[in-house]
Amino acid sequence: MSGSDAQERWRTSRAPLGDRSNYKKVWEAQSEDGDVAALAVAGHTDEATLELTARGTIDMLKSTIGIDPSDVILEIGCGIGRVGLPLSKECLHWVGSDISSGMLKHAAARLASRPNTTLVELASVGLLELPADSFDVVYCTIVFMHLLEWDRFRYVEEAFRVLRPGGRCYVDNFTVDTETGWKIFMESYAYLIDRRPAHISMSSSREELRTYLVRAGFEDVKVHDLANGLIAATGRKPESAP
Amino acid sequence: MSTPGGTDPRVAALEAELHGVKRREAEYRVKMVKEFLDRGERNTFLHILQHERAALIRREQEASADLEILTRKIEEAEARVASLEAELQAARAPKGSWGMTAIKPAASAGPAPRPMVPGAPFTYYLHTSPFRIYRDQAFTLRGWAWPEDGRPVTAVRVDLDGKLYPGRIGIDEPEVVARYGAQAHNPKPGFEITFETPAGRHAFSLEAQLAGVEWRSVMRTTIWCEPRAR
Repeated sequence: MSGSDAQERWRTSRAPLGDRSNYKKVWEAQSEDGDVAALAVAGHTDEATLELTARGTIDMLKSTIGIDPSDVILEIGCGIGRVGLPLSKECLHWVGSDISSGMLKHAAARLASRPNTTLVELASVGLLELPADSFDVVYCTIVFMHLLEWDRFRYVEEAFRVLRPGGRCYVDNFTVDTETGWKIFMESYAYLIDRRPAHISMSSSREELRTYLVRAGFEDVKVHDLANGLIAATGRKPESAP
Repeated sequence: MSTPGGTDPRVAALEAELHGVKRREAEYRVKMVKEFLDRGERNTFLHILQHERAALIRREQEASADLEILTRKIEEAEARVASLEAELQAARAPKGSWGMTAIKPAASAGPAPRPMVPGAPFTYYLHTSPFRIYRDQAFTLRGWAWPEDGRPVTAVRVDLDGKLYPGRIGIDEPEVVARYGAQAHNPKPGFEITFETPAGRHAFSLEAQLAGVEWRSVMRTTIWCEPRAR
């Protein structure tokens, strides 16, 4: 083989990246058992703790982007509807989207008493199922750690598309320079190299999250250090966005 | 009634009274704040304000929800008006031998509220996910299901806001049987149900009849239908 072909061979080579980016397969498997599903998306299985942690998330949303009773809200990666159940009591309409139909089955059971909620199954990375300019708030919490960087940015871009002009966006992840973040990092560090699961948690930096939002077109972009050791980036879709 | 070149004296009187009420309310609140501050109870006052704010938020949320319900009712009424107008036009049209057949039957007044069918544990899967924004006039749900107690499924239906849409059962699902084993009473566990998806939010329940006797809900959720703009 000639050296001149190497560039082409390298460009077109397809090295498998494991199953990490096969999110549907990974998260359908996690959702087969209700308790495993709750553990996978929230780290807890009992309703009381789920409620408590959801309240914490709602407080974070309120303190960063604000929640208004007239808001139509979209959650990216809603899992079993941990946040949606209490948040739907504080907004006009809550839409939960997830790539796993199994997770949504659990969410539907938990949200049966909430008429102002809608669940949407995503076919792949992105929000193609949802119309543009439809939401006042889009948030994505405790999800980016399970995604590859390109997919994180895809969701930020898509959040921009589906938000109404003036709509607010919130994304978060853990970072290694906090005690909580370091603890999560070391939990993943403990895996044997060939036993790392596809959903293993991976951190973000403040600059990474800020860049995604700026590149997607958001304005008033801010990065927040949250009380629970996470970092969050928030932004607003310009009123004059095309 | 307004006087020539001036405001109605009754309106002026009411405005003056309103102004007086607002002024008294403001004076009362100023006095209350002073009293709290004099007593060194700033935090207590803030707490009261937070409570008042929470109550206002609740009222605003309720008002927004009422507004949405009202909007949907207006949309339904508009659709009904359009339907009746179409009927009227058809009735007024010159009648040939087939003239009357053009008139659609009047829309029913809507189903009476039905008690909610209780749920039961099912093993099931839906090939066409119900978790979506419904953009067309109708949707066909396909999947398979059997109750965990092993009883036969003898019928399926969708309940959408109390309106029932019967489905078809007994569809082969060889891959499911290969994975879960043959189901003695449900050898062909597949089903399909087509239901209408009018604009708005609806309470959706997928229901199965067990052993020809009782209906049980397989799953329920709220669905959102927003037809494509034409």
